[in-house]
Amino acid sequence: MAVSLIGQVDLMVEDNILVWKFNRGSKDALRRIYEKFKDDLLGLAITLLRDRSLAEDVVHDVFVSFAGAVGSFHLSGTLKGYLSTCVANSARDRNRLRSPRNAEPGIIQAAGSDSDGPIENAIGIEESGKLQDLLARLPYEQREIIVLHLHHEMRFREIAKALGISINTVQSRYRYGLDKLRSIVNSVVTK
Amino acid sequence: MRPKENTEEFVKVRKPDVKTSREMDKRTLDDSLAAMEQTMRAKSADQKPSTARIITLRRMIKLTAAAAVIIVSISFYVAHQGPGEQNDIIIAEALDSPAKIMTMKSLKIAFRRGGIEGIENQCEKALKILGPEPASLSLADLYNGSQS
Repeated sequence: MAVSLIGQVDLMVEDNILVWKFNRGSKDALRRIYEKFKDDLLGLAITLLRDRSLAEDVVHDVFVSFAGAVGSFHLSGTLKGYLSTCVANSARDRNRLRSPRNAEPGIIQAAGSDSDGPIENAIGIEESGKLQDLLARLPYEQREIIVLHLHHEMRFREIAKALGISINTVQSRYRYGLDKLRSIVNSVVTK
Repeated sequence: MRPKENTEEFVKVRKPDVKTSREMDKRTLDDSLAAMEQTMRAKSADQKPSTARIITLRRMIKLTAAAAVIIVSISFYVAHQGPGEQNDIIIAEALDSPAKIMTMKSLKIAFRRGGIEGIENQCEKALKILGPEPASLSLADLYNGSQS
């Protein structure tokens, strides 16, 4: 616990130093920030959009916008949290613009059961790619909060602030999303 | 394990392991660095004074310099030229009246013209005219020429 806390503090200090250098026009700092978070952010965008080229565009736009804020960028939380929020917001906008026909290819309507059976049975058949298929069956709002909370370690309060919604809404979306995901997984296992 | 925690763990351990492509890295970094440079250039341009501001500043500098020259000229004139003529007139007037020779005004003018020596000369002149102990002249008369 203490070790992870120290690790988190180290990361925050490193992030703050990078942001400080970036604000003074260091190109190396910008490169370092990109290298540090690019894979995580692309993973988030792909999970949310289910389209790699769109996801790449989202990450690209987020970094270009971030680079444009040089000299005046103020970091209030963690850099990863900030960039993840930017990606989530941009992905939501892209998702709205997409026509329903092209949206989320490969989504199958959830035919879940409400049983609370063991998930471990599904572990053997589900890999991370498959998880994305399962998550894709959730409504976008629920998927967004589950991914930000579980994959990007953002707190509900942070997510609520970033998305401009109440913490109660975040928590209820998260709960409904998890329930639905469990139902989906159970239905897959049953099949 | 409770179903909720079970599901959370299930999602957590399957975080997608995605790698960016080299093309994406190049495109994103190139565009980001260009955006960064553009912002920095715009900010430094904002900090440079505009042409109008430079003109105004130049005018202000010129006006200030002109005012300074005028003030110095007037001061110089007052210190060396103007009051000097006035002093001569005053001293000439003062010489008419021995009491006036010792007035504060005449001493002040004498100091301005010749410093301590000027005052001494003025005093000597006064003593020559008045004598060492003028019985008819009080201290008040000495320092107030108008009363004599």
